[in-house]
Amino acid sequence: MTPRHTTVRIRSAAVAVLCLVLVLAGCGSSRHDSSGGQADAGAASAAAAAPSTPYDVTPLIKPSRKYLGVALATVPKSMTEYDAYSRAIGKRPDLVEYYASFGDGFDAQGVRRIYDDGGLPYMAWEPFEPSLASIASGASDAYVTSFARSVRALNLPLAISFGHEMNGNWYAWGMTKATPEDFVKAWRHIHDLFEQAGATNVIWAWSPNVINPVPSIALKPYYPGDAYVDWVGMIGYYTVTGQNTFDQLFGPTMRQVRQFTRRPFVIAETASQLGPRRQTDVDDLFDGVAAHADVVGFIWFNVPKRADWRIQSTPHALAEYRKRAAADLFGFDVRKP
Amino acid sequence: MDQEFYDVQTYRSVPAQGPGPGTPDGTTPEEFYWFGGDDAEAPQQLGYEVYEHFAPAPVPEFDPAFDPAFAPEPEYEIPEVPETGWSVAGGRRRSWIGRMLLLSVLVVQAMLSLRLHNTAFQDEALYLFAGHQELDHLLHGTPLPIDYSGYFSGSPWLYPVLGAAADSVFGLTGARLLSLLFMLGATVLLYALSRRLFNERVALCAAAFFTVLQSTITLGFFATYDAPAIFLLALSAWIVVRTNRATPLAVLLAAPVAALAVAVKYAAGLYLPTLVLLAVLVGWPYRGRAQALVRGLLLALGTGGLLGAAMVFGHMTAGLQTTTTSRVQGTDSAAKLLSESAQWGGLMFAVACGGALAYIVRERMHEAVDVTAVRSTRRWRAALALLLCGTALLAPAYQIHLHTSTSLHKHIGFGLLFAAPMAGIGITRLMGAHFRQPQLGILVWVVMLALGLSQSTARFTSWPDSTQMVQVLGRHTSPTGRYLAETREVPVYYLHGATKANQWTSTYGTGYSYRDAHGRVYQGADGYRHAVADGWFDLILLDGKSTPAMDAVIRQAITTDGTYRLIASLPFTTSQGPGTYQIYSKP
Repeated sequence: MTPRHTTVRIRSAAVAVLCLVLVLAGCGSSRHDSSGGQADAGAASAAAAAPSTPYDVTPLIKPSRKYLGVALATVPKSMTEYDAYSRAIGKRPDLVEYYASFGDGFDAQGVRRIYDDGGLPYMAWEPFEPSLASIASGASDAYVTSFARSVRALNLPLAISFGHEMNGNWYAWGMTKATPEDFVKAWRHIHDLFEQAGATNVIWAWSPNVINPVPSIALKPYYPGDAYVDWVGMIGYYTVTGQNTFDQLFGPTMRQVRQFTRRPFVIAETASQLGPRRQTDVDDLFDGVAAHADVVGFIWFNVPKRADWRIQSTPHALAEYRKRAAADLFGFDVRKP
Repeated sequence: MDQEFYDVQTYRSVPAQGPGPGTPDGTTPEEFYWFGGDDAEAPQQLGYEVYEHFAPAPVPEFDPAFDPAFAPEPEYEIPEVPETGWSVAGGRRRSWIGRMLLLSVLVVQAMLSLRLHNTAFQDEALYLFAGHQELDHLLHGTPLPIDYSGYFSGSPWLYPVLGAAADSVFGLTGARLLSLLFMLGATVLLYALSRRLFNERVALCAAAFFTVLQSTITLGFFATYDAPAIFLLALSAWIVVRTNRATPLAVLLAAPVAALAVAVKYAAGLYLPTLVLLAVLVGWPYRGRAQALVRGLLLALGTGGLLGAAMVFGHMTAGLQTTTTSRVQGTDSAAKLLSESAQWGGLMFAVACGGALAYIVRERMHEAVDVTAVRSTRRWRAALALLLCGTALLAPAYQIHLHTSTSLHKHIGFGLLFAAPMAGIGITRLMGAHFRQPQLGILVWVVMLALGLSQSTARFTSWPDSTQMVQVLGRHTSPTGRYLAETREVPVYYLHGATKANQWTSTYGTGYSYRDAHGRVYQGADGYRHAVADGWFDLILLDGKSTPAMDAVIRQAITTDGTYRLIASLPFTTSQGPGTYQIYSKP
């Protein structure tokens, strides 16, 4: 080997080693630039998977017109009953409640069906199990986060009422099974997980039962706070023997709630018991909702459960309902609020 | 063309005084004959008549018996063999080849920069929006809401106005394309000055390596002061080199350009000493020591005088002090800054140092064995090499002094512009005479290309894409709203048609004060806390990047009070990690 060849080889080796060292150093700069973060590939993949602009539910929280809602037994699995109900009342309901157990998967198709018909889906999320304390402790975080991501990915508006009627004693998450602190912690925890998942397309409806049957249970301890709640839902039914005016039914609850929050009300479940007052009850409901600017609407519980609450069961009440629902004030297409 | 100094067509000496006629491609051959040293006079004229004449063939003795008519024909003829199979001289063809190769380099540079994409960085947004306001002030007399000269790192009346004009017509892409033109121009000037100092091969290598630097790629599509400042520095350096044989007064042509570079970006002033010393060094061989020193003095006085006037009449002093000379000290360690400098410019600097050493040891590679022309002195070569390589260290050294890594990734490109010619020599020496080892040059270039690609991509993904954020904000803003934004420059720029700058408050302000309905005034974090509690702002935008401590205060106020609702949570991932835009509004 000539000295020249040796020189060339030494030079080549030196260059190769230098390049290798500096490549490693330089690559380090791109991966840990300034603060040591993600690789470029991460940025690229994140950009590729970036969701669309989140659905803005703000106009749906205080709409200019009132929600004309309904809960139907077979919706949203099928919209057949919804169509029939719409024909019956002469208008398409714009707030459609359905029930889901905590632990169920997110029914994205059902929510889309409701939305495609111009309605805002309203999910009553029922935590039969696990306990509220368990949820608050983070034991269900994986499930909640997965659920929230699905909600974000669908990117349609959704109202969620977690643990409704928490001030009653008839549910597994009610006042006799869980403390107000557990309820608030669980609510806030779920809310925060949804925010972390970017699911800002949720309207949070805190829905106690009207206080009339449980007057000794204060609502404030159950309230998670304005930062966690968009609507105050109220659940109360016109009955033959109980309260049968809007003020009697909802007034005490509204006055108590107004002592700790200014959030708007929504009547999350209501209906009128079969009987001679039904037509009057319908009138009273429409009048009461129309008279209160801070009530954004109501959901008619049109399900035969424990009693027949269906409006179609009473023709004269249905006729009244149809006549009142025809007013411009009630009902709108949530896709064009 | 193996040697760094040009040869000439005939290898004749030429007059040392004045630029001389030059070769057809514009290359002047005089430097080839410079002795340098302490000779105060013009370089000696040395005659080389290497190819002057071949001696006439000897006449054979007359043979009366020889009849040429019957002499046998030779079976073959030996052609005339030139001394070398190629010419080291300049020429039209070589010039065009050089220019075509330079064009290829420029195409590569443009492609590397144009492949970058992201929404406006906050500095781009700030300068362009300020430029729009100044354009309105200049064209329509609209009062300026703020005196930007107090905290901009360059004159607000130069680049921002130019950038905003491009932005007005072609949008952000137009402003960035303007930067690309500046950086392409800088590469061309680098080629020109390297070619004049050395030769085309060195110039092409210098340009090719400068092109793939992270800083060059990034600044070529980045609408800030940096690209025009680098271009102006390159232009002034080229003028300094181009006028090295002319009367010393000619160097004053570089003074306004250098002053303009500093006015465009104050940090460019760091390189004025380099320009002055370069003026002295490159003039010395041709004008002698005294005139070379006069050149330097003239350039220093000319540039200094212009800058002094600009300070007085252009109100640059406050901004210069705030952003450059008296900049607030950071907390970054020297080790971190050295590490980052090595990552962004280490390989280029190493190659330049190698080239400098090789150049000091030997002026050229002696590809043309018959050329034994005059060489420069080792002392002069050492001074030039030290100046060019040392300039690359100025920005890191100054930022180590300031303990801040802010913008180091950009500033490092300023110094490497000057080191690039030495890197060009380094690569030509690495490849060897007659391109014996081109693979080595290619290897280093490809490595630098890979680094430039990855690092420029990392730079351009170091801030979040604001497209969705701006879309969401755009749906909730009005001409009368009040908005709090962590990085207010970006929405101010993108929503400048729908909102005014004074509607936006940043979370930076330790001097922020809020007066509540009862007239009580709260300062700083307390001010933000009470403003949020009172629902003073219609929108709040947080990203957790710029002011995380203030974010925590604001978030706590939002959560406690409940006046605001999160209307959008937009995750993003940058090269510095993941983050989320969080936008709150009053329901």
